[in-house]
Amino acid sequence: MMDVFEIKDCALLTRMSGIPPAMNLRELRDRIVSCHPDVLYHHFCETVLVPSFDYPDYRNDFAVWARWRLGDQVLSERLGMIDPYLYTSVEELRSATLEIIEERLSEVTMIPWARPGQAFYFMQAVTVVFDTGQRIRHPDELSAAIPRMTKGSIYFHVLEARRRLPGGMDDFTGWLKGCEGNWEHYIRAVQAIDVTFHTLPEIRQELIEAFASKRNLAPKAKRRKR
Amino acid sequence: MNHSLDDYIPVVGAPVIGQLRNLSEKLKGLRVLHVNSTAEGGGVAEILNWMVPLMRDLGLDASWRVIMGTAPFFSTTKAIHNGLQGRGANLTQKDWENYIEVNAQNYAEMKNDLEIADFVVIHDPQPAPLLDMCAGRKGKWIWRAHIDISHPVRAVWKSLRPYVEKYDASIFSMGPFAQLLPHPQFVIAPSIDPLSDKNIDLDEAELEKVRNLFGLDPGRPLLVQISRFDRFKDPVGVIQAYHLLRKVLPVQLVLAGGGATDDPEGKEILDEVKEAAGDDPDIHVLLLPPNSHRTVNALQRLADIIIQKSTREGFGLTVTEGLWKGKPVVGGDVGGIQLQVYNHHTGYLVNTPEGAAHRIRFLLHHRETMIDMGKTAREFVRANFLLTRNLREYLTLFTWIMRAEGKHTIVI
Repeated sequence: MMDVFEIKDCALLTRMSGIPPAMNLRELRDRIVSCHPDVLYHHFCETVLVPSFDYPDYRNDFAVWARWRLGDQVLSERLGMIDPYLYTSVEELRSATLEIIEERLSEVTMIPWARPGQAFYFMQAVTVVFDTGQRIRHPDELSAAIPRMTKGSIYFHVLEARRRLPGGMDDFTGWLKGCEGNWEHYIRAVQAIDVTFHTLPEIRQELIEAFASKRNLAPKAKRRKR
Repeated sequence: MNHSLDDYIPVVGAPVIGQLRNLSEKLKGLRVLHVNSTAEGGGVAEILNWMVPLMRDLGLDASWRVIMGTAPFFSTTKAIHNGLQGRGANLTQKDWENYIEVNAQNYAEMKNDLEIADFVVIHDPQPAPLLDMCAGRKGKWIWRAHIDISHPVRAVWKSLRPYVEKYDASIFSMGPFAQLLPHPQFVIAPSIDPLSDKNIDLDEAELEKVRNLFGLDPGRPLLVQISRFDRFKDPVGVIQAYHLLRKVLPVQLVLAGGGATDDPEGKEILDEVKEAAGDDPDIHVLLLPPNSHRTVNALQRLADIIIQKSTREGFGLTVTEGLWKGKPVVGGDVGGIQLQVYNHHTGYLVNTPEGAAHRIRFLLHHRETMIDMGKTAREFVRANFLLTRNLREYLTLFTWIMRAEGKHTIVI
């Protein structure tokens, strides 16, 4: 007997955090030191759901701002390589970010400033999670179900799950591990996707390809057993 | 013409429409009342024209009321509008009294609707004082600012703020537009309706008809700026850019816009633009009637490049429209244009007539770049600035406010 996979969806809305905008790198550091974890999480992880242009080379708002508003390419390269999903908590992520900024502040002779109108605005978001009513009853149904998922569903099950589940796991992996049978081939395919460096439509496409290509690779004896 | 949500499936895909239906499941029957100051002309009326029917399609009891005003009232609200966008505004005590008085008259007209609504969305400053008058309100009130109030004239904001701060929430088009207020402030970028007359695909015959109507030469590059005749849109700056270009390229320019009933300044600016255009037969200054959506659509599709050289801009829906038609946009480096125009990807941001002329000249010599930018531009709008995203964010906001938990994540 397998548990069904309930396909959820989520909608995100950005709101002001109430923190004054940062005009320069020192102010950015000071605000990051004390901002609410949701603010940091938003600028690293939720930015993929915000209506904005996707800069393929920078995956978080701080790196984009450093590059295009502070004009500090060194800093943007360092910040751009932060993978938020490698940290077990937002506080660890905060420390890593501050470490990079502190290092940069110690290197530069003049504090990088943004032009008027180009300050960094600290935002956060509210998220509403809801049921789509769609269910996956068997791992082999995944490849057909993924194309019908919205960006919100992909975000919720692949990215947001890592904040929710122990061990930074995505929902598909969590479900497959609990399914009767051996679904390691699916699990390995999902875990091989570099989620930080893909847009949500790209992650969806990677999942479609991963599940489709591995569909017939389940150990035959176990498939017959079911 | 009103469309059903299912009509948008070919444009955005079935999952996006399904998402809206799922999200609105718990909101069915809620009374949502939108209030603004003009039924036609300008971006707000256009948004409400599609938003209200689509909210109804989702099962919400949505409606739209327009406040009525006198000429002095609209002169005052235009001055408030300008003041909020940072331009000097001479408002007397009498102007403010008239502003309140006209709102009071409108309140008397729509009192019942305002009192029973579960959500009242007040668009822009014109009807902002209605909340103060509605002592019997039972719902939540949201102030939706469509303009850039990042650097308001202090006296104007000081006078308006007491009305705005009493709302339960406010919405701005961009984070930098928000002012410090004692309630949650959300960011919702506006959007366009891809099936409206303004944005629907047009056939060649219709394009030819419009080209002939305005005597446009099909053999020469066409630059188009669509906007109200408003100083913040810098139409005279566009003509200066055109003059710089004409020294080297045989371009044609269309400056087209309509008037809005709440914009008494338009005529004055139009006269200035006509004077700057002089008798140049390749500058076409067109004052279009409010229902000229298909004409605007055709002009944008006939254009090689869309210009929106604003010096202040709330969001710039004409930019979105141009991008949706697969055109690169040369736009002012301000406000919401910065959210839509990305250098080398969807167009160029400029600060001066010289900058505009420089980028236009580059693009006209690099047609392949223009085509690539156009493709990127259309997909960028499809992913971010169509009405389905806008609608989803309103539904998210209503859900979040209704639950009143103040949490980051709500599971429904």
